[in-house]
Amino acid sequence: MSRGGESLTEFERNARVVLEESVRRIDARTRSRLNQARHAALAAGGRRRAWWSSFTLMPAAGAIAAALLVAVVLWHREPAGTQPLALDGQHPAVEDMELLTDNDSIDLIEGWDGSFYEWAAAQSDAGAESNS
Amino acid sequence: MPEFATLASPYSMPAALHGDVDLTDPEEQTQTRALNQFLAGVELKAFKIAQAALRHEDDALDAVQDAMLQLARAYAKRPPEEWKPLFYRILENRIRDMQRRRTVRGRVMAWLPLRGEDDDEDSDPVAQAPSLEPQPVRRLELDEAVGALEKALERLPPRQRQAFLLRTLEGLDVAETAQSMGCSEGSVKTHYFRAVQALRAQLGELYL
Repeated sequence: MSRGGESLTEFERNARVVLEESVRRIDARTRSRLNQARHAALAAGGRRRAWWSSFTLMPAAGAIAAALLVAVVLWHREPAGTQPLALDGQHPAVEDMELLTDNDSIDLIEGWDGSFYEWAAAQSDAGAESNS
Repeated sequence: MPEFATLASPYSMPAALHGDVDLTDPEEQTQTRALNQFLAGVELKAFKIAQAALRHEDDALDAVQDAMLQLARAYAKRPPEEWKPLFYRILENRIRDMQRRRTVRGRVMAWLPLRGEDDDEDSDPVAQAPSLEPQPVRRLELDEAVGALEKALERLPPRQRQAFLLRTLEGLDVAETAQSMGCSEGSVKTHYFRAVQALRAQLGELYL
């Protein structure tokens, strides 16, 4: 018998046999308590690791939060000297949104008399030509 | 139901019983299983080592439990080959703490009047009843040898006893024993040599 390549004396071999026998004689109650202690330790270690692993995700969570914050700030910020996209180049897109969401405006659009406006436009064009 | 067939038993994954561990993480499962296997392999020997040092069963159990807890909490991520020296280092520190506390308590209690032992388990007649199994000669010899060795170990200085048990019972090599004891390999060799000499002087060359 050897221990990591070292040869043991007879005394050491006997001592090991006796010590292993004393381990075998540990009673069932003590074995059960050790078993419970091991399970409790593993459970506590798992909880600790789970708690710690939530912190390992903190950099990723922080980066996502920062990106969202930047996106929200840019969305609400109106750059100086520029107007948001508008169909006619004069009205901001926000006003178009108000028209679309305003029930009265929709009613007005629905009751639009196209022929009248076409006639009025033709009249104004004719007046301009006669003045020139 | 094939999904249930892949689940491990509660005994192979004890942490799962408490619902705090992410069971979907295979790395975590493997590590928990490996740690469980390691602790199951050392717990009985660790208990004997703690019992030899503390000479009290409940204190020895507490010391082993604390060592298990600390290893699982603080060192589970370390490579498994480092677990054994780390575990015995933690256990030794815990044993020393308990011995120190006991010394202080003993000094305080020396000033108080004597009182009876509170531990009812020691007087449990069922626990103390002799086994009814037939005792062969070999068993009697072993009984005597175990008793004699345990008594001789009690008489050893703590560091010698620790070196002897870690080397002989746990089978650690000199380097691992030095790591567990927090000393140099030369000191381990000296402690171990002196322990063997003292035990041999008390027990004789062929005591078994």
